Amino acid sequence: MPTERLRDNAPRILVVDDEKSIQKFLRTILTAEGFVIQIAETAAAAQVESALFRPDLILLDLGLPDMDGVALIRQLREWSAVPIIVLSVREREDDKVLALDAGADDYLSKPFGIAELLARIRVALRRVVQVSEPVFRSGDLQVDLAGRSVTLQGEEVSLTPTEYDILRLLASHAGKVVTHNLILQQIWGEAGTSQQQLLRVNISNLRHKIESDPSRPRYVVTEPGVGYKLRVYE
Amino acid sequence: MTEQIVVEGRHIPVQHPPFSSLPGYVVGVLLVVGATVVCELLRPLLLQNHLLMIYLVTVVLAALKVGLRPAIMVVVLSGFLHNYLYVPPRFSFDFQHKEYLGTFLGLLVTGSVISSLVTKARERAEALRIKESETASLYRLSRDFVAATDRSAVQAAVLVNIEKTLGLQAALFLAENDQAAPALSCDGFSLTDEEQQAVLQAFTTGQAVEQYRPFAGTLCAYPLKTRRLTLGILAIRIRDRAGEAYEQTRRLLEAFATQTALALERIELAHQAEQAENLRARQKLERALLNSVSHDLRTPLSTITGVLSSVLEESGRLSPAVHRELLENARDEADRLNRFVGKLLDMSRLEAGGMILKNEPCDIEDLIGCALGAMERQLAQRMLTVTLEPGLPLVELDMTLFCQVLVNLLDNANKYAPPGSPIEVRAWNDNKAVQFMVADRGPGVSDGELERIFDKFYRVPEPEGVGGTGLGLSICRGIVEAHGGTIRAENREGGGLAVIITLPTKGREYAD
Repeated sequence: MPTERLRDNAPRILVVDDEKSIQKFLRTILTAEGFVIQIAETAAAAQVESALFRPDLILLDLGLPDMDGVALIRQLREWSAVPIIVLSVREREDDKVLALDAGADDYLSKPFGIAELLARIRVALRRVVQVSEPVFRSGDLQVDLAGRSVTLQGEEVSLTPTEYDILRLLASHAGKVVTHNLILQQIWGEAGTSQQQLLRVNISNLRHKIESDPSRPRYVVTEPGVGYKLRVYE
Repeated sequence: MTEQIVVEGRHIPVQHPPFSSLPGYVVGVLLVVGATVVCELLRPLLLQNHLLMIYLVTVVLAALKVGLRPAIMVVVLSGFLHNYLYVPPRFSFDFQHKEYLGTFLGLLVTGSVISSLVTKARERAEALRIKESETASLYRLSRDFVAATDRSAVQAAVLVNIEKTLGLQAALFLAENDQAAPALSCDGFSLTDEEQQAVLQAFTTGQAVEQYRPFAGTLCAYPLKTRRLTLGILAIRIRDRAGEAYEQTRRLLEAFATQTALALERIELAHQAEQAENLRARQKLERALLNSVSHDLRTPLSTITGVLSSVLEESGRLSPAVHRELLENARDEADRLNRFVGKLLDMSRLEAGGMILKNEPCDIEDLIGCALGAMERQLAQRMLTVTLEPGLPLVELDMTLFCQVLVNLLDNANKYAPPGSPIEVRAWNDNKAVQFMVADRGPGVSDGELERIFDKFYRVPEPEGVGGTGLGLSICRGIVEAHGGTIRAENREGGGLAVIITLPTKGREYAD
């Protein structure tokens, strides 16, 4: 049957949250958007379902009754690369960083709008489908990953090697927050985690080259206390 | 009066009559010998009756100076000597003549009367002097008590005064869980087991207890009693335990104990009153908080409920435009509710002192960018100018919290300034501090309110439709002060309010 086929092809989302109202809301909205939904109320159930239900994406609330959400992410990451979007409340910046460093792909602060949620889900799912695209585009910004060149409104932007590396890293996680620690490790190596101020200076310089108003950045946006994100515009 | 108060090897000086360093009898004998010598010298010139006058003077002198019994001895000696030496026949006693018996009795009466008068007067003077010194030491004690504002100050005052006035070592035990627990003692003051028992007994019975120990002296344990209960024990060791002086010392110590009890009770009552006052203030604040919180929670909730029920029940009759407008309204109110809850959480964390700063090196431009980004939707219709001094240093701060400060300030400016009026954000480096300014062209506040707007739950009389929580600026102040900075507001020339943050950069800068 066509509907069955549609359902078979539809992305499968595992919602891990013990709040009934959130479960109901997510099930209604996401089913309407054509996703197949499974609910897990505990970390134990989440582990079982992520093996049986084989989700394409997990929406995970960190406050679970039986286990710390960050620990659950670490366990899942031992055998699964499924995208994980963390749903957290604003007051827990520490948890966000921990979750991202543990292997979560993105996070969304509660309460959130449905448009924002769907955008994040799309970004996370696209990453799986399109593993590497040679050219990254966002608005007027274009990063040619093969040719190591950056253009803004078609004009070549001259970046230092470090600035380019940071931009490429953000582009490869486009739409998602990349934590300070991850950037520091990728760019400066293991010893780089103490180089926070170097990162700030490089981000500032990068913005002055690619943003029209560096004090109101469009592309490289800061998540205070967490990291940076490269925004994607159609 | 020749007793001395001897305590712990120190002497309390008592005013003694002249010669008092010698026993009265010796002085009496010396006086009589002196009188006899004078008589011998004057004998060729005077009659024996006149010589009697010299003995009379001697008796008067003795009566004045050496006390009653030595004076009587002087009378007897003088009578016999005068009779023996100067009543003819010389060198023999003559008690045949009644007038000599009269002379003797006269001397005796004169000596006794003068002596007892003098003794009484001296005793009265001495009693007065002791009273005065007791009064003075009690006065000093109560003066110290008045100055004492807590229990430990009272304790110290007692021990210091006892040591200063009486030269005695003492210790204080205070009631704790129905036991007398050691609170404070003079250096080197320790108690034997029996003495501790005495302290305990005094505490449980509420009566003074004395415990004598050879060589060490007497331990006196005075209960510190108020009308209601025994607050503790004043324990003092006294070297000797006899005589008038001991009684006086004891009286004084009892007075000390009473005063101490009163002082401790006063402190306790003051403490209770203060606690009650604090409780009242807190209850008042909590009531205000509850009123404010329930109002601020209900207002957006009633909008949301209203919108949702009309969409559910009336959706057929609503035009798509109205439908959308209602839902947008509900979403805005939900946002507001969320911001309010966030502020309450911030406030409670600030209040609990549990705000831990997660400092990181921060680019000021980035910080301002974050705040503007968070307010993007609200500020969409605003003319906004951002002026950054070039070359601002990286500053060590908690970016999440500081971003919240700027968001709150922008939110206020946006709420209180009329729509379309410009908002200005400025940051500059000034004299070892980074300064931030968020300024609007709104109505400003009266000069009297410039400081008060940072108080919790303080709201300026607000324009219609502006829903302030009275929390935003107090949260800002809490966060800025946690960073060691200051925040102030001033009215701008040409109208509007400017809020200025000064964040010292000493120790927060990074060398490039």
